[in-house]
Amino acid sequence: MFAEELKAFRRLGVRGVLVQLLNFASVIASGLMMWKGLGLLTNTESPIVVVLSGSMEPAFYRGDLLFLTNPPNVPYQTGDITVYKVPGSPIPIVHRILETRGIVRNAPKSAIAQDVADGQKSAVLRAVEGQEVEQLLLTKGDNNPIDDVDLYNGLDWLERRHVVGKVRGFLPYIGYVTIAMNDHPNLKYLLLGVLGLFALIQRE
Amino acid sequence: MARIRKSENGGAADGTASDVNDSKPATRLVNVVIPAEERDLVKVNNTNLVDLKNACDDILKRFLSRPELFKQIHTHTDVRLALGWASVLVAAGTAYYGWKVEFETSKPVVWAGMIVYVVLAIAQTLYAYFVEKDIVFVGKRKTFDKRIVTERITMSSNTVPSSPSNPPAYFLSATYVRSASGGKSLLGRGKASDQRSYNAFFDENGTMDQERFESWVTELVERVMQDKTQ
Repeated sequence: MFAEELKAFRRLGVRGVLVQLLNFASVIASGLMMWKGLGLLTNTESPIVVVLSGSMEPAFYRGDLLFLTNPPNVPYQTGDITVYKVPGSPIPIVHRILETRGIVRNAPKSAIAQDVADGQKSAVLRAVEGQEVEQLLLTKGDNNPIDDVDLYNGLDWLERRHVVGKVRGFLPYIGYVTIAMNDHPNLKYLLLGVLGLFALIQRE
Repeated sequence: MARIRKSENGGAADGTASDVNDSKPATRLVNVVIPAEERDLVKVNNTNLVDLKNACDDILKRFLSRPELFKQIHTHTDVRLALGWASVLVAAGTAYYGWKVEFETSKPVVWAGMIVYVVLAIAQTLYAYFVEKDIVFVGKRKTFDKRIVTERITMSSNTVPSSPSNPPAYFLSATYVRSASGGKSLLGRGKASDQRSYNAFFDENGTMDQERFESWVTELVERVMQDKTQ
């Protein structure tokens, strides 16, 4: 079977082989770029994730596909379902926000407000002056009996920067393909190999 | 080993005429007969129009780029390869960078990479659509006929889909330019096209009759080389 393919490749010549390889490589490249583009548009590093555990039942089951966004200046609210990653553990967790707190972090004061003393300014003016309000979050899975403080690896609150995104939509069952490929990596290589073979042999 | 036979097509295309009137171009195309041992059997799926066209294009390219005939110019292929591989490398670099560096800090570089990739992809599409179009072969040859004459031939092909009365056909068109002194003085140009249904070249098993195809191509190329302007 391969002897014929090898002969076909030799007949193609260097340029022909490069063109066939380019077909394969450009499919992969366009897939990568679409993924990265989606990430940039939604402002999150993984815009599509798969639910691995049952801690959000009956809302999400294992194998559901979730679509995330992370709007940059919009504060999260109680009831939002977020996906977050605690520093120190690689697996993101999808749980609902139970409580939010805003704390004020000091930022350099603007020139306009410098001569007015701090105590005389209202909270609104302080926010306007450029001091950031940072959000702290507490989460809990719908199906879990207790909240997530134990999962935070020593922190008492989750910070905004740990959150990957907020769930906007979902598709049931589709994620099982990813779960299967992660549990059996040979499947992944087999799929890639077959796709690669098709792309190299086909000529359009 | 090719047996060279004088062309039998048309009196004006006869090689001997050019000795008498040397402003008349030599339109004789060397008739090449390729012995059976050198041929590979070409067998394609009869029902797949893409395969049929690709098989015809391949034989066309292989035939016309024989050393006795033309030297193939690979500019279109090279541009397509350059743009394509550049976009693949940009995509790979951007993805690798985005993987290595944390998301927020990587954003400006990833945006830049995305934009470069999109520009390259659009450039590729525009080139293929506007410049390359249906061209399958561009060839050049230099002959010596009192001065160095450069001839350039461009072949484009497409498939004419079937209609209730006709089977699908292969439409081949040729554009021909001859010039002297390095392309500065134009001696003549010609354009010709012809169409044959795929039935003429492929039998019911999908085996291609290469000699018949090549002689049809020869006929078309000789027709386009006959100078109409002088």
